[in-house]
Formats: sequence, structure tokens, C-alpha cells
Amino acid sequence: MIVKKRRRPLPLTVLSTTFVLLWVLMAAFPFIWTVWGSFKVEQDFFSRDSWWFAIEGPRTIAQTGSAFTGDGYYGAWVLRDFFSSVVNTIIVTVSVVVISLTFGTLGGYALARSGYRYTFWLLMLALVFRAMPHITLVSGYLLPFFEMNIWGHLPTAIIVLVAINQPFTLWMLHSFFLSIPKDLDESAMVDGCSRFQAFRMVVIPVMWPGVITTGLFSFLLAYNDFAVTAMLLSQPNQTMVPKIASFLGTIQQEGNVMFAVAAVVSATAPLFVLVMFFQRQIVSGLTAGAVKG
Amino acid sequence: MAEIRLKNVSKRWHNFVGVNNFDLDIADREFLVLLGPSGCGKTTTMRMIAGLDDISEGEIWLGDRMVNNLEPKDRDISMVFQSYGLYPNMTVYENIRFPLRVRKVPKELHHEKVMQAARMVELVDFLERRPAALSGGQRQRVALGRAIVRQPAAFLMDEPLSNLDAKLRVSTRAQIKNLQHTLKVTTIYVTHDQIEAMTLADRVVVMNRGVIQQVGTPTDIYDNPANTFVASFIGSPAMNLVSGDIENGTFRGPGITIAGLQTNVKGPVTLGFRAEDASLVSEGGEFGAEVYSMELLGEATMASFRIGDQLVSIKSGKEYRAEIGDVVHAAIPASICHLFDTDTGVRIARTPGN
Amino acid sequence: MPHKAFFAFIMPSLLAMLLFIALPIVSVAVQSLYVQHERVVTEVETCAPFAGCTTETRVDAEATEKLRHAEPLGRFNGFGTYLDRNHLATAEIGAILADNAGFADIASRIYNLPFYRALAFTLTYTFVVTPLAMLLGFCIALGVNAIPPFYKGPVIFFSLLPMIVTPLVGALILYWMSSPQGILGATLQSLLNDPTLSLKSSAVLTWVTLLVYGIWHNAPFSFVVFYAGLQTVPHDTLESAMIDGANRWERIRFVVIPHLMPLATFVALVQLMDNFRVFEPIVGFSAEANATSLSWSIFNDLRGQVDQLFGSAAATSMLTIVGVVILLSPVLVRTWREFNRR
Repeated sequence: MIVKKRRRPLPLTVLSTTFVLLWVLMAAFPFIWTVWGSFKVEQDFFSRDSWWFAIEGPRTIAQTGSAFTGDGYYGAWVLRDFFSSVVNTIIVTVSVVVISLTFGTLGGYALARSGYRYTFWLLMLALVFRAMPHITLVSGYLLPFFEMNIWGHLPTAIIVLVAINQPFTLWMLHSFFLSIPKDLDESAMVDGCSRFQAFRMVVIPVMWPGVITTGLFSFLLAYNDFAVTAMLLSQPNQTMVPKIASFLGTIQQEGNVMFAVAAVVSATAPLFVLVMFFQRQIVSGLTAGAVKG
Repeated sequence: MAEIRLKNVSKRWHNFVGVNNFDLDIADREFLVLLGPSGCGKTTTMRMIAGLDDISEGEIWLGDRMVNNLEPKDRDISMVFQSYGLYPNMTVYENIRFPLRVRKVPKELHHEKVMQAARMVELVDFLERRPAALSGGQRQRVALGRAIVRQPAAFLMDEPLSNLDAKLRVSTRAQIKNLQHTLKVTTIYVTHDQIEAMTLADRVVVMNRGVIQQVGTPTDIYDNPANTFVASFIGSPAMNLVSGDIENGTFRGPGITIAGLQTNVKGPVTLGFRAEDASLVSEGGEFGAEVYSMELLGEATMASFRIGDQLVSIKSGKEYRAEIGDVVHAAIPASICHLFDTDTGVRIARTPGN
Repeated sequence: MPHKAFFAFIMPSLLAMLLFIALPIVSVAVQSLYVQHERVVTEVETCAPFAGCTTETRVDAEATEKLRHAEPLGRFNGFGTYLDRNHLATAEIGAILADNAGFADIASRIYNLPFYRALAFTLTYTFVVTPLAMLLGFCIALGVNAIPPFYKGPVIFFSLLPMIVTPLVGALILYWMSSPQGILGATLQSLLNDPTLSLKSSAVLTWVTLLVYGIWHNAPFSFVVFYAGLQTVPHDTLESAMIDGANRWERIRFVVIPHLMPLATFVALVQLMDNFRVFEPIVGFSAEANATSLSWSIFNDLRGQVDQLFGSAAATSMLTIVGVVILLSPVLVRTWREFNRR
């Protein structure tokens, strides 16, 4: 390693390091800026005079007596009932992850272990389904859901998100299952397990890394979704992202943009924590698909 | 304890024939080895017996049960896989106990049975380890222990030694032979290694391209190969095969003339003989050619010659020396020769009295 | 695995996909052939003293509601919706082609038709963002690969953020920063010395902002995949290239890039699929005045202030699906060929 570094010419090292620094700044700065600004008043964060105000916060001090204020958060969480949409988000994401993984591990296992040709066609079909823009599917749901009177409820959104998530989950788990030797479930079957017992007692215990990684991506899909939750959930059942979108419509006129900024930061915080703890799994998940596919 | 019968078993995928019309009775307590090059259908045959692959045609009987439609778990067999198929999340003890657990053997019997099996495969000191913390030979023994922990109707072993190094292979081979003798369970063993086949088997089945080539005891197969495939597959070096013509009991090929063979054949044939049956002589003999290479094997010296596009090897004593390019003669008496049909490769039987 | 076991295992997943992906596509196809009912109109004669009688047309709300309830699909319209002004606009296109003042005129007039406007932005976004984000991702991967191992973890952590963040939220954050009162917008104003400069004011600037956002959002994915690919570049090949006399650039050109090619195909495929459905940034940047996308048009129809235009949304959806299939077809054809060769 040391030998290698010595061989690298200095200008190149400087150039590539600068480039990386620049990128890190580009990637991280917007978040840091917004988190910082969310504790200011609107006149500071969206200052007409100088953006320097957003850093020092003179008006925040003038209005609240301190350089930092939680008014935005108070407004969003308490006054605008962001709290209930957080609860809805938790219900939706947890259910979507659990159901997706249950369906996905079963299906992915079947696809990885069946040697017949139709598995190929099913995977191709899943790829086409994966490419469907979510909003086109939503436009297919709305009318039937109205007619069946199931529009607006959380379970409806959950099962829809599970289905939309399936193609991706299947692909990913399929490639993880392929990396588990067939000998394992076959010896379990010879030892006296049925196919399902072999799956449950022998394969799943060694599949945890793959399941966790896939679960993370299911979580991200459900958490980040806007098209489905915005169109399929009624006002009181809204999750965070559509809630933030609906803030935009009303708050701008009232001059309470800071509510939205606070909500945005609140919605981003869990993702920060997620990346911090599961960085390795996210990276391996992104590449698992690439290496196999 | 059971005999196994395969009645005209075939396996097809689309238009590819994996196993063609396999018909064999395996006696109770027999040690049967399926031998052949990779892709010859030997593993597929075993997997059909285990129930891991379904059967396209024919019937498989374990004892008095036709098992075609039974799940692997209901066939009462145990199997050792090539890469062992150990459960990485369980300890050695749990791995060996697993078959008892899932087969609902009464709990109080578990410990005794596991310990007994562990003693037989010498794993008592490693019971709390996970497979990842074991060496290749130890893992292999865990797989064996898991197979013998209950008394199945048959053991199936799919190239169990192929992932071990040469030295370990010899000792484990002996252990397997001994275990089978002690437990007296019908065993089917798949390998591509002819030495394993020769040393372990009561009977060997040689397969090629999904078809049985020959069934017999190791001696049988070595001494009387049924066709050129078996002749060239068994033995190290393989049997020398030379093509030529025969007339009135005299075979003539490039640089080789052998008299005194059977007189009932005429025309092109393939002549076969084993390297160790022929001997190098200074003068005369049935064969003479330039030495192509000399190999010192330790216990013997081997000289090879090029005849047409064939390589012919002849073993001699360890003291023998010759240079590459020297012309050397060899005695190949008619009694050591085998004749095969050139087109079909099938052995041409000796007529009685010849 | 026998067929029966296979289908038992895959059934829940398959059922979910058929019910909520395949069936909706059918539903969209059917809906696209219908349009919502006209309002039921009744003529009411009101006679007032001295003024005489006047007939007045009024919307019969009750009857309209009843009709809509009885036939929720609307009335059958065949392919009418596909051809109307808001979709393929065949009549308008014909008129433009028949009577125009040169190519620029044709382009600008076609661009004023809503569907083509959305299509133009969607395609631009897809085919500009995808390659640029991949290029940026590749450069970052090369750069990160060269920094000391100790810094790699934090760098990867920050690099993941733009990708992992909710698209709508990410778009909002950049939108606020680039508004005239935000740090980026204000800095740009002072740099260019133009106090009226606003990214929202001109179509070109809005497009550029959205494209920059797209690259920012998409680059991390390429980066991560390429970075992982760089770890598996065969060392032996790299070293034999060195012995054969290849310089740094030639080693990248002849060893690293060919090794990453399959990954690049995969990344391109995924990103094309994702970018083609660009939608959230337009909402986040409130950019609909200057840039719309196919997905956004569908959303807009469905969210209609007065009526939800199911038929119109469905027709756009069908056209979008056709677009997706065209986009995927090279991949599908290639995989199919490879599969048959096996």
C-alpha cells in the first residue's frame, strides 16, 4: 500500500483529493445547512439581506432571545400535527418491510432453487414491472379503489407498496439465495426436513445478512415513496412525505415555511441514522444486484 | 437395511439425456461404487435415489417400497455431499443431532446417539465448534457423523473425498470402508477416482454418457474390461490401445505384430494390453519403436512410445534405463492381449480353447 | 424443485404482483378508452312577470352525480383521448406541419402542446442525467479509491446521503437553497451581479437546476457500484499491464474500464428506468410552470382541482408504459437472445 502511494505523482494526488473533498462538500453541505437553518426564524434562513444571517441568526436572537429556536419544530409537530403522520409512517414502513420480506424470501428462494425455464421469464417479468413508473400504476388503482371503498386506508397503501416493492425484492433475494450452496437445503431434506422446513430451519438462519440488506431497501422504498402515499391515503392517514408536500401548499401563504423546513429535517434524521448504522449493508446491497445481474 | 433396485431408470432435461435406462439391483449391505468421468450421470443417478432429482422414467425401489413419489425425507436414507452441506449456524453437536431432531426421535435418545456417532468419527473433542472453525478433514467427518447418527436404509456418498488433500484422502477412505463394514448398511458411493472405486467397492458400476458400461467386482473390471471406454478409464496408466488388422490369429499394427490370437476374427480391430503385463526386451519381441519419453516412477520405470497418434506405455523394472530416441523392443505375448471391435469398442470374447 | 413446490413458494409474491401491478396496467388500458361524463344539463324555463320567459341552461348536479355513480368509468371514447390536444394531439401536429414558418417554429409550437412538453423534459432528464451521473460517480469512485483507507468510511457515508434521502425532501432542500433568498440563489445573484436573477424565472435555468439536482441525486449510486467494482479489478492483469508498459491512463482505459463495463450496463439500466419516471423534483422545485414530466402530468390529472381526469391520466399512463417498454427493449431483446443461445 505504502509502496503504491509513493508511486502516485503528487499533482494527481492533490487533484483527486481536492475532487473528493469537493464532492463531499456538495453531498453533505445542503443537509448541514438545512439542519442548522431549521433552528432559525424564517427571516434568517430565507434572508433577503445576506445569507450570512442564516449562520449567525440576528433576527432569531431578536425574536426569541436565543440564537437557536425550536419554533419550527413546535409548529410542525404540535400545531400542524406532524406527529400523527410520523405514526402513520411507522405503521406503513414496518408493515411493508415485514410483508415484503416474507413474500420476497419465499419467492426469491423458489426462483433460486428451481431449475426450470419459467424462472427466467418470471425474473424478466419482474424487471419489466420494476420499470413501471409508480404513478401509472396509481392511476390504475384509483377508480377501482374508489368503487370498492378501500381508498384512503393504511392497509391499502401498505399492500400496494408491498406489491410495487416485490420485483426489486425478488431480484435481490434471488441473488442472495443463489450464493447459498444448494447442498445445505438438500442435506436438510435428506436429513428429514420437508422443503419448507429446510427453508425455515436451515436456509433462513444463514440468510440474515441478505434479509437485512433487502429489508433496508424495502424500508427506503416505503419511507421515500411519494406517488403512492400522496394519492392513495386520505388526509388523516397521510404519511410524512405527502404531509410535507401538503405543507407546501398551505404554509407558503401563511409565511410559515419554517414548519416545512423543520418537518423536512425531522423526516431526514432517521435516514441519517440508518446510513450511519447500515452503511456496509447498503453498499453491499447496491452491489449485490450489480454483480449478479 | 435394504436392497435397492433401479428398474430402467432414465433422466431427461428437454432433449438432453442425463441417465439412460439404468437397470441394477443392489444387494443389502453391498458397497457399490458409481464410477465415471464428470457429466456421466453418476451423481444424477444418486440424486434420483435420494429424491433430490425426479425420475423421468423407470422405478426406484428401496426394500419393498417404490419410492418414485416420495420426498427425500420419507426415503430413509442419509447422504454425504461433496461440499458436505454442513449447517454453518449450528455447532458440530447440533449438526450431528439435526436428523434426530427433525425426524422426531425421542429427545432422551439424542445425546447417546450423537456421542456414539461422534466417537465413531473421532469428533468428541470438537463438539462445541462451528463448521467454520474446523479443518477440511474434520468437516468431512461431521458430514459422516451426521449420516451415521441414525440407522438409515442406505448411505449415499457423493464424491465425499474430493475436497480433501491427498494424504487425508487415504486415511478417510480407510475410515469409510471400516465404518461401512461395522454398520453393515447398503452404501452407494459416487466418484470419478478409480483408485477409490477399486479400494472401496464390492461392485463397481462404470458409467459414461448416462449409460452403464460395465458392472462387476474391481478385479473383474480391471482384468476384463467390457469395452474400450472401461479399458481406457480404469488403471494407471490406462490400458494401451492400438488399432490394426487381424487375420488368422495374427495382429498387425504400426511397428507391432502379435501372433497366436483368436482365429475367429478378421479385419480391423483394436488391441489392448496393460503396461505392466508387457516387458521390455533387448532383442526380438512383438514390438519395436523409438522411446518417446522415460518416466521414473520409483517402484518402476515407464517407457512410452508413439504409435500413430497413440501413446503406448510399457513398465519395466526400476533399474531399467534408456535414452529418448533409443530403439527398444518389447514382448507382448498373446495371453495378455484383449481385442475390441474397432467400430463399437465392445470386447471380442475369446473363444473357448483359445 | 418440483413445479408444485415452486408455485406454493412464489404464490404470495406472484399474486401481489399480478393484482397490484399487472391488473392496474389492464385497468389503465381500459380507463384510457373512456372519458368522464359531461355534466348533465337541463334547460329550465323561468318566467318572470313583465320580463317574459327566458330559458336557461343549468347543470343538474343531482343527475350528474347519479350518472357518475352508475357508470364510474365514464363514457366510451375509443382512442379519442389518445389523440386529443392534451396527448398525441394529431390534429394540432397536422396543422402545425401544414402551416409553419420553419423548423424553429414547428419545434416551439409542438413544445407548447402539453404532452410533448412533458415528453421533451422527461427524455432530456433521462438522457442527460444518466450519463453525467455515471461519469461523476466513476470519477468519485476513482478519487475515493486513492484516498487513505481511514477516510473512506466517512466519505462513503456522506456520499450516500444524496441518494438515500427522500427525493421530494432532497429536492425541497436544494430548492430552498437555490431560491433568491437561499444561500445558492443569493450567491449566484451577487456573482453574476444580477439582483433579479431567479432560477424559477426562466425555463432554461429551471431545467438546468432540475438536471443538476438529478445528477446530485443519482451520482452516489454509480459511485458505490463502481467503487465496489474497483475493489475487484484483477490485480494480476493490472500488474501484467504495468510490466507490459502501460501508463496510468492506459491501465484505466484497457483494464479498469473493461472490467467495469458489465456494472456500467447494469447501472445505466437501473438509472434509465428510474430517471424516466422523474416526478418528485418537479413537485419539490415547484417547477411545473417551466418543466413537466410524463409522471407529473398523470399526477396533475389525478389531483385535478375540480374533477379527477381518470381517462386523461390513463391515456398518458399508457403512453408512458409504451415509453418504458421501448426504453427496456434493447435489454430485453439482448437477454432473450443470450437465453436462447444457452
